[in-house]
Amino acid sequence: MIVVENLVKTFTRNEKKNKKSEFNAVDGISLTVKEGEIVGILGPNGAGKTTLLRMMSKLMNPSGGVVSIRVGDEEISDDIEIKRHIGYLSNNTKLYGRLSAREFLQMLGILYGLSEEDTKQRIQQISEVLSMESFLDNRIERLSTGQTQRVSIARCLVHDPQVYIFDEPTLGLDIISSAAIIDFMKGERRRGKTVLYSTHYMEEAEFLCDRIVMIYRGKIISEGTPSELRAQTGKSSLRDIFSELISREGMQDEN
Amino acid sequence: MKTKGLNTKIITTLVKKEMLDVLRDKKTVLMMLVVPLVLYPLIYIGVMQVMALISSSMETQNYRIVVEAEDEGALLDKLMDVNQQNAAQGESDEEKDAQSYEITVVDADSISDYETALNEEAIDAYISGQLQDGKMQYDVYYLSSETNSSYAAGIIMDILDDLREDLTRQKLADEGMDVQMILEPINYGKQDIASSEQSLGSMMGSILPFMLVISLLIGTMYPAIDTTAGERERGTLETILTLPVTNRQLILSKFLTVAVIGMVSAILNILSMGAVALYMYKLMDLQTEVVSLDLAKFIPAILVCILAVFAFSLFISAITMCVTSFARSYKEANNYITPLMLVVMFIGYIGFIPNLELTQTMAMVPVANICLLIKNMMVFKIDYGAIAVVLLSNVAYAVMAILFLSKIYDSEAILFSDGKAGLQLFERRSNLKKGGVPTVSDVWFVAALTLLLILYAGSMLQVRFGLAGAFGTQMIILLVPLSMVVYTKRDIRRTYGFRQTAAVGYLGAAILIVGLFLINIVVSAGLVSLFPDSAENVETAFSDILGGNALAGLLVIAAAPAVCEEMLFRGVILQSLKARYRVSSAILITAVLFGVFHMSLVKFIPTGLLGLALCVVAWWTDSIYPAMLMHFINNAVSVALMYYPEQVGKLLPVLCKNTLTVADVLCLCAAGAIFAGIGVLLLRKSKTVNRQ
Repeated sequence: MIVVENLVKTFTRNEKKNKKSEFNAVDGISLTVKEGEIVGILGPNGAGKTTLLRMMSKLMNPSGGVVSIRVGDEEISDDIEIKRHIGYLSNNTKLYGRLSAREFLQMLGILYGLSEEDTKQRIQQISEVLSMESFLDNRIERLSTGQTQRVSIARCLVHDPQVYIFDEPTLGLDIISSAAIIDFMKGERRRGKTVLYSTHYMEEAEFLCDRIVMIYRGKIISEGTPSELRAQTGKSSLRDIFSELISREGMQDEN
Repeated sequence: MKTKGLNTKIITTLVKKEMLDVLRDKKTVLMMLVVPLVLYPLIYIGVMQVMALISSSMETQNYRIVVEAEDEGALLDKLMDVNQQNAAQGESDEEKDAQSYEITVVDADSISDYETALNEEAIDAYISGQLQDGKMQYDVYYLSSETNSSYAAGIIMDILDDLREDLTRQKLADEGMDVQMILEPINYGKQDIASSEQSLGSMMGSILPFMLVISLLIGTMYPAIDTTAGERERGTLETILTLPVTNRQLILSKFLTVAVIGMVSAILNILSMGAVALYMYKLMDLQTEVVSLDLAKFIPAILVCILAVFAFSLFISAITMCVTSFARSYKEANNYITPLMLVVMFIGYIGFIPNLELTQTMAMVPVANICLLIKNMMVFKIDYGAIAVVLLSNVAYAVMAILFLSKIYDSEAILFSDGKAGLQLFERRSNLKKGGVPTVSDVWFVAALTLLLILYAGSMLQVRFGLAGAFGTQMIILLVPLSMVVYTKRDIRRTYGFRQTAAVGYLGAAILIVGLFLINIVVSAGLVSLFPDSAENVETAFSDILGGNALAGLLVIAAAPAVCEEMLFRGVILQSLKARYRVSSAILITAVLFGVFHMSLVKFIPTGLLGLALCVVAWWTDSIYPAMLMHFINNAVSVALMYYPEQVGKLLPVLCKNTLTVADVLCLCAAGAIFAGIGVLLLRKSKTVNRQ
């Protein structure tokens, strides 16, 4: 389970005429994602999705608020320890092209604190599941897009984390590659893992997510199961729900 | 199982990964291996070729000359003698290296006039001779733009010298005198007591440092770019940041990778250079049978050189990584590193400057210290203190740079930047938007460049040209930042704070500086009593460069800094920092920089204080002019003290005292506080006046 309380990220923007303006990319978000749950984060560009997920994965330090992870009864709030329990994947997490998939995964295992032997076994196991055996010893730069995608998933899996945080994982992927990721998330949900991911694809979110969180200008504007959101807005498709909620926010701002 | 500290397993894993990653990059390997293993032998072959060319072109050069003289018999005989001697020498093969030549005397009738003949290269020299007052006057006409003609003229001059001596001897002998005793009453010669090791060492000492510094820089450059900017460009930075690894572990492992690769490439360089040098030496040995060398004598020098290379590779790796960390791509990193390379190369030449000693101060100047240390070791000047200072200071600089590097990796603004805050200096000018103040990165870059320039060029100028040199230093301080401001199309008025302000602001500034001056007397006296060795330092700081003219002194030491230094510190630096950071941090950073720029431990605190006051005044009055006035007054008082110590002493005896009594201290502090207080009050008032 991952718990976020009142998370804030303030950026300073330089504007003309010697003026600085501060704005909150993430403005007081509280959120809990439980075990065995997939939560989708939806929001327009610049809503603060990436910043939120980066702070939750401890890539960025929040300006305010707390992130913690609960594994069983243990509560973890140390940055490094949190990272140990998170598998983070985004469009910006590229792989070391000059290393082979095996070398790369082996190094990750050690850095996550696994023994050499355990890492080897784990890589064997993962590569069977993701059918990576045929290219495990090739340099990553020589792999196809689909193969690279599988290595990326393997990267998040090596340390068998409790929580998965994916930032637009299916963006720009073909049907087969994105299906692999979606299957993977479903599989991890079955194994009782916590999954949080952001996306632009409404249909995908609709059939995959247990809950959907909509954010706009750094704030949660709505939250609930897809059916709860339908009831809230009276619209049937997620696309319409989304537009409806955002236009409501826009009206509020003007008033 | 915490990993907060410097967990060795994590570091080794990371280093292993970085090594694999970097060494699979062809560019790095190329730079690491090709330069040492191919370049030096190539240079050697090139040198040999050139030498072969030169000696072949020297083979029996024939010079065609024309002689037109009244009594030309003696000269022509002499020329024939020389030809015969040369021919004999050529056969005996004794001095093969010396150029052999033959002189052909061309009939004067075959040429129309000597000028055309020289220009058409029909002849190489023309000699005219006339009797003047019973003496022969020979004039040798030649064309200095033609190599052969110049050589011919030189040879003829030598022959004429010989001829004169022959005639003298003959005349003396005719008179029945002792020719030998009159012409050569003494005999002399010089004996070189330098061992052949020393000669070789002094030759190596000037070239080796330069080669090493450059090869280390080249060796570390690519891995440094690859592990920082390259990682960012390939998008793996975010991946590595998801790992449970601290920034310090990450940076340390990157740094170790770069430093180790740098060391390996430097050692390959030394080995290759040494092998080529030894081979050349062996060849020379066979040909000329020079006294044999005892290479064992070089062992301590080589050991220290290796240590120096290690220390320097730590330093240069850390520095290059700092520079490349700001870049987002390979290309950008290359742009950033070019000026660094130029600066390092420039300093690397220091090995070629004769008579430059490795003093305690020099031992702390980066790059220069390594060059001078290697140079000294090569001529067997061993000073263990200096060795320690050089090695330790390099390690210390490396540590500082790494700390700075971890600051960069802590800074999300840089890590996740879209590049807007970065260096704009290397952007194409047409891509830059007009207006605003410089970016912080630009300011850091320019401040560092200016500091380096005044550190190296400035001090040289001052030593060489005295007051004029000091003025040159001020021009560097003015022009280097100004060119950046102009190039990046910044708003000059805002960047420099050229704004008018209320008159009360000027008055406040003038009164404040009087107070501060008094307080600084106490501060300086306190520091001098703490560090007595440095007392001389303070006193002689200016007196070295003083000329007699007080007005020139006032111009160079008071007026120029008031304008130039203010425009850099209270202008470019303060205004740019103020636009990005909180005012208090901007002021503090500027004041510290101002102190650092004066490059003296003892002067750091008083100048820092002065800088602080100047910053506050510039902020309150929202203008640079009152700060300029203050700076001028402050320095002008110092100038008066230097040129007219007696007069000033009579007026205000306390200014010229060597030691202060308790009463003096109390009086100075009290008076200083009163003046400063009034100044501050007036300045505060000016702030409110300006607001309205």
